[in-house]
Amino acid sequence: MARRIIEACLLVVVLWYLATPLLAHHSFGAEYDANQPITLTGVLTKIEWTNPHSHFYLDVKDGKGNVVNWKFEGYGPGVLYRLGWKKDVTMKPGDTVTVFGWRARDGGNWAHSREITLSAGQKMFFGPPSGTGDGGNAPAVEVR
Amino acid sequence: MMRGFILAGVLAMGLWQVSTFAQTAPGRGPAPKAAAKSAVPRASDGKPDLTGVWQGGSTQRGNWEETNGGVGVGGSGRNPAAPVVLSSNDRPAGREGAPYQPWAAQKVLEAFNRRGIDDPTSLCLPAGLPRTVMLGLFPQQIIQTPKQIVMLYEYMNVFRVIPLNAKHPDDLIPSYMGHSVGHWEGDTLVVDVIGFNDKTWLAGTGTFHSEALHITERYTRVDKDQINYEVTMEDPMVLTGPWTLRSTIMLREGTRLEEYICAENNVDPERYEKLLKDGVKFNRQ
Repeated sequence: MARRIIEACLLVVVLWYLATPLLAHHSFGAEYDANQPITLTGVLTKIEWTNPHSHFYLDVKDGKGNVVNWKFEGYGPGVLYRLGWKKDVTMKPGDTVTVFGWRARDGGNWAHSREITLSAGQKMFFGPPSGTGDGGNAPAVEVR
Repeated sequence: MMRGFILAGVLAMGLWQVSTFAQTAPGRGPAPKAAAKSAVPRASDGKPDLTGVWQGGSTQRGNWEETNGGVGVGGSGRNPAAPVVLSSNDRPAGREGAPYQPWAAQKVLEAFNRRGIDDPTSLCLPAGLPRTVMLGLFPQQIIQTPKQIVMLYEYMNVFRVIPLNAKHPDDLIPSYMGHSVGHWEGDTLVVDVIGFNDKTWLAGTGTFHSEALHITERYTRVDKDQINYEVTMEDPMVLTGPWTLRSTIMLREGTRLEEYICAENNVDPERYEKLLKDGVKFNRQ
């Protein structure tokens, strides 16, 4: 009886974990480094509302005062819309925004964007958490 | 000692889940009013009506905005502290290993170590089954009639037309979403799917299969908000036996499916090629 209860509980726990919402598409871990978080503030120069992913570009001043154009990747338009984004309204070229995300592994001026602080101070997600699509922490099979 | 703690934790979580589930189980609602509100809608033929827009891989009740504001698909922007969610390529903690034959398990592991860059969806190819049903970032729509059921998926804009009480044709062309036929077993819609190509992943990084894949899905709408989804995958070419997963699909009233034209601006294959060419280290081992 006790064993059956434990088995039932284990099954429920498995179901609970399985029920976590699932994301899809490309490998964060191949392109971006979760150990290199970055926060940048700059002026928005362009937004591409495209599938499978959107991109936006930001003019950011470096330590020497030089302006560097950074590229950020995020959700596609459908997902952004459901998160409350409105094309050409929520964020426009010329706006000063702050972006939190993770740098590309190749060290270039591009990153995966997670949270954007808009010029009015509102915070919104533009991309998924780090690690999406790269397989997570354990393979689907047992490792022996 | 540690094992005891883990077991106690698992038991506590299990009991909490059992109690939560019991409260929402049909016929056991806490108040008659609430039970009536969550009754299973019925079609004109008396079958549970699955018609609606749904979100796979979620347990949350409510509309899209309410339910994805915290632990959901990255949150609504109001809760930046939302915990990290799993990707469709992740193996959730607690899930048993997929029953791959040893040679095939090795191949799955290799894909995991390459961080999923071989994912067919990175080429904008359909995600196949059951992945398309179980992912949560994009909604899916079900349109039910007495003779056929249509399932539409925003992700990759794919669809399934499922005739009821029909047989699979004998001239199937291997396809990404396979060929589905359905029938009702009481209040459960059972869908039998064959005719797959071997170009999709099942559920998790590298979970490949052969054209011999046979999938059986069971959709049970247990109340207004929730479909219990059970899927069994059989593939004698790569698996040692049936592989069964269970999930829930939740109603999202007010949500509409959007266009998703993946080929519009897909830069991933080009990036992967450059990463490999430049020798950027991203492998796990």
